[in-house]
Amino acid sequence: MLTIKNLHASVEQKNILNGLNLSIKQGEVHAIMGPNGAGKSTLGYVLSGRDGYQVTDGEVDFQGNNLLELDVEQRARHGLFLAFQYPVEIPGVSNMELMKESVNAVRQHRAETPLTAAEFLKKAKAACQQVQLPLEFLKRGINEGFSGGEKKRNEIMQMILLEPSLCILDESDSGLDVDALQIVANGVNSQRDGKRSFIVITHYQRLLDFIEPDFVHILANGKIVKTGDAALAKQIEKEGYAFLGLDNSAEASA
Amino acid sequence: MTEQIDQALSRTYDAGFISDIESETFAAELNEDVIRRISAMKNEPDWMLEWRLRAYQNWLTMTEPEWAHVHYPKINYQAISYYSAPKSMKDKPKSLDEVDPELLRVYEKLGIPLYEQEMLAGVAVDVVFDSVSVVTTFREKLQEAGVIFCPISEAIQTYPELVKKYLGSVVPRSDNYFAALNSAVFTDGSFVYIPKGVRCPMELSTYFRINEQNTGQFERTLIIADEGSFVSYLEGCTAPQRDENQLHAAVVELIAMDDAQIKYSTVQNWYPGDEHGKGGIYNFVTKRALCHTNAKVSWTQVETGSAITWKYPSCILKGDNSVGEFYSVALTRGRQQADTGTKMIHLGKNTKSTIIAKGISAGHSNNTYRGLVHMGPKADGARNFTQCDSLLIGDLCGAHTFPYIESRNPSAKVEHEATTSKVGDDQLFLCQQRGLDAEKAVSMIVNGFCKAVFKELPMEFAVEAGKLLEISLEGSVG
Amino acid sequence: MTWLQQVIDRGQQIDDWLSPLRLQAIETLQQAAWPTRRTESWKYTSLAALEQQQLRLAQPATPPAEPPQTAIPGLNSLDLLFVNGVLQTDISQLPLAAGLQLHTLRSASAIQRVITTSMYAQVKPQRHLFGLVNDVLANEVLFIDIAHDSHIEQPIRIISRVSEGQESHHRVLVRVGDRATVTIIEQTQSEHASFSTGFTEIELGEQAKLEHYRLVMHTRQAIYFGGCHICLHDKAELNSTMLGYGSELSRTDIDIMHNGQHARAKLNAIYLLGESEHFDLHSTIEHAKPHGSTEENVRGIVGDKANAVFNGRIHIHRGAQKTQAALQNRNLLLSRRGQINTKPELEIYADDVQCAHGATVAEIAEEALYYLRTRGICRSKALIMLNFGFIQELINQMPNPLLAQWLEPQLRARFKEMEVR
Repeated sequence: MLTIKNLHASVEQKNILNGLNLSIKQGEVHAIMGPNGAGKSTLGYVLSGRDGYQVTDGEVDFQGNNLLELDVEQRARHGLFLAFQYPVEIPGVSNMELMKESVNAVRQHRAETPLTAAEFLKKAKAACQQVQLPLEFLKRGINEGFSGGEKKRNEIMQMILLEPSLCILDESDSGLDVDALQIVANGVNSQRDGKRSFIVITHYQRLLDFIEPDFVHILANGKIVKTGDAALAKQIEKEGYAFLGLDNSAEASA
Repeated sequence: MTEQIDQALSRTYDAGFISDIESETFAAELNEDVIRRISAMKNEPDWMLEWRLRAYQNWLTMTEPEWAHVHYPKINYQAISYYSAPKSMKDKPKSLDEVDPELLRVYEKLGIPLYEQEMLAGVAVDVVFDSVSVVTTFREKLQEAGVIFCPISEAIQTYPELVKKYLGSVVPRSDNYFAALNSAVFTDGSFVYIPKGVRCPMELSTYFRINEQNTGQFERTLIIADEGSFVSYLEGCTAPQRDENQLHAAVVELIAMDDAQIKYSTVQNWYPGDEHGKGGIYNFVTKRALCHTNAKVSWTQVETGSAITWKYPSCILKGDNSVGEFYSVALTRGRQQADTGTKMIHLGKNTKSTIIAKGISAGHSNNTYRGLVHMGPKADGARNFTQCDSLLIGDLCGAHTFPYIESRNPSAKVEHEATTSKVGDDQLFLCQQRGLDAEKAVSMIVNGFCKAVFKELPMEFAVEAGKLLEISLEGSVG
Repeated sequence: MTWLQQVIDRGQQIDDWLSPLRLQAIETLQQAAWPTRRTESWKYTSLAALEQQQLRLAQPATPPAEPPQTAIPGLNSLDLLFVNGVLQTDISQLPLAAGLQLHTLRSASAIQRVITTSMYAQVKPQRHLFGLVNDVLANEVLFIDIAHDSHIEQPIRIISRVSEGQESHHRVLVRVGDRATVTIIEQTQSEHASFSTGFTEIELGEQAKLEHYRLVMHTRQAIYFGGCHICLHDKAELNSTMLGYGSELSRTDIDIMHNGQHARAKLNAIYLLGESEHFDLHSTIEHAKPHGSTEENVRGIVGDKANAVFNGRIHIHRGAQKTQAALQNRNLLLSRRGQINTKPELEIYADDVQCAHGATVAEIAEEALYYLRTRGICRSKALIMLNFGFIQELINQMPNPLLAQWLEPQLRARFKEMEVR
């Protein structure tokens, strides 16, 4: 599904990723943990193709395509979805308008017929229900005036609608209380069908109590420094990142 | 609380002494003959006289601008003397030792020692007293680097090609009413040429002083930074305390060739008039820079003086990737009026400009920011950011913001923001609760407000500017 | 004979009970200088198109063969229709809600004449040239009087249409009594070569509330000068939305005067210009009394060879302490041949106030663009969505959803045409 080899990336001439390797197979859930500033969010931005994130070395293969050659929107249409840590507010453009365009752009890419208004609405309603987002949120401007939790749920709602093959969840748990966390996790779990793969970027182990990962990777200084299973996340929860010889202060201040 | 601030602001003008120096001064009048006499006094070549006379003809057809947010009685241009020079300058001194000691004392009193050994190392000074340049220091050292720094009257004689080519090339003779007047009657000022690739080895500086009664000062500054060169230039101005208004109408032209950089800083402290608005300098100045490819010009100004300030240091960003900056602090108090700002004319591709303007109004004064940002049809990818902040001290003053934005290019981006605030009673209370007196507290708050501009000043001037502001806010707090 | 002289000559021939006021305006006009590009408030608007025109004598209006389709779907409004400056609606036949009175130049009673005279040209005495022209030439005056404490549920909609080659000059006066509430929709339009002036003066009593719309939909060769002058008394509340299309020459002045304490004003304005359209909006907010608040949001999109002019002035008078006033003007320029000229102005004479303004041109919200693209939407499509979203945000803020629903597709269609060209 996704193979990252020796990925180096920089932002404003500052190296953030320094030779990252990662391989993800269909249906797998990979958690990426690490102290603040390790490059976790950068990974999501680089994979999605954000401007200003310069890939200086390495390769990324996504379902047989050279991912790094594709535009942002082409990556999305190929099935890469990024759920943002801080989704931007776009007043004036409604959620509904965005999703209609978006779903049909993806469908067109897959050579499927566009959805009729009724078909779309039915799917959208179901997606909203899945993450317990009131339907009126579809009519509102994208994330406009949403609470932190509503924004996160809105991201998952979009993910459900777009049916991507690889979902990158960038700290989808941050700022959520337990109930909201449960809703987000249920939304994600509902999409685990053995084919869809996930990269779950998180700072805390707690999200992984709800979304069980197949692999846990520790990202530090722009590299994966340790890989294990769910137990590794639990160990970090208990001992911090110090046992890996990593600075724990960032962790403490987070 | 406001009363304390008012008291703090009612300081006296330190530079307001009158020096008793014997002068040769023209009778007050303005006509072609006066211009011919100025030109003759300066021993000018014919082309220069011709140029002046044409400017005068232009001026006669023009009307005084009325759009600025300032009010003053009509100026009688026939009641001004257009030339005044210390008698001792008749035989121009070759070195400082030959300069009239009385004159040197004037500058010492102003805190500008002219003897090179006493000076801050690394600052060369040109001193303009009324209508003539008195002395220029460090000339030899500058010459070694190929830098020309001399009075413009001398440059007209010594470097006529350069002057002919560039004088009026940025601010044309008929640009505006006051520029036309200046072009006709300018007396002296500084001339700077930095050769290709040279980084000027020291700060250049000119001090202007109006001394004589009823005289106007019309200086002209021309700075040419050739390709890839760099210069930092500082200017300071003072005048004695007199009851009548005096006119200062200067023109400054900067030419930054490809890859050149000019940093132009001003601390303007002309006599502002008394608290009833009597006397003070009318400071009507045209300053403009032409930026070629990759060139950069920064204007930084601290304006605390003058009864009226009418001044818009501007950049014509003609070359691609050229950069213009304007950093300004304008403080008005008493009955002062300031209408100042900048024009950023973006013509080339990817040109950038930044405008940071801080206005502080106190007493019965009015302080106006007026600026123009123009994005031409070819200014692809051009960017401007403007931030104007006003601080009002007391409820009798005025603070105004008039930004003009003209865009002709869809890829150009302009952002303008303006806010207004006051020195809050709560801020003052906090400072006082921490043991500061009201005066110090106001000074601190104002300094903080101006920080973004002060940090752009060269070190030597930053100190001076901070002091000037402090003096402006100084007084007895009961 | 100059254009202005023709106005004066014609005005001197009008003989009705407003004549003394018309003559006052003529006196001012006789002293007035014709605005040129050097006149500050006309710097970016050329009157050349007008100067070439011969002023036609107003014909007794013949309503167009086909009465224009005017209804807004679902909106049960009280419609008052002007065609070429003549009121077509028979107001004596209208069922009026309690507390609402209407009268015209011809129908006014003696008392109503006194009230009208006291308001005519008084809400904003210092008007520009074309306000004075309207004083002189207005051949119809509609007076809307809302009694104290009346809540007029049914929106009042005033429509003005001008047909090919016609002139139109009308005036609307509105008095909203203390604690009264009302919605007024003003819609003026002409798609033809025409010349019209239309000014409205509104007094908003203590604690009165006005929901106000002014839709300036003149296009093509139409020449239009109009304005709305609103005076707010203590604790009055104004929520106004202004929409502008451009035409050969179009200028609108919105003036809001805080003449009472604790008054609140919200003004949203949208302009959407294409082809060679010109649109000039001057807004002036005067805070003459303390504790007032103003929030103004002005957004425009300019395409093709259009020219947008915005001048947004906020003036805080001495003593108007504790005022809060903010103005935001944002513009998008879509074409290299178009132009945007904007000038927000702050003039402040009181220290204990919170005032701010901002103006931007051609901002690309990179972050928003990236977000849409991560959802599979291509760059050009995303830009269109974001650009229209920029206008949509203000449409969404319109308090009347029916009006918003009626306007949105029209604006969308207009925007699409701008994109294509």
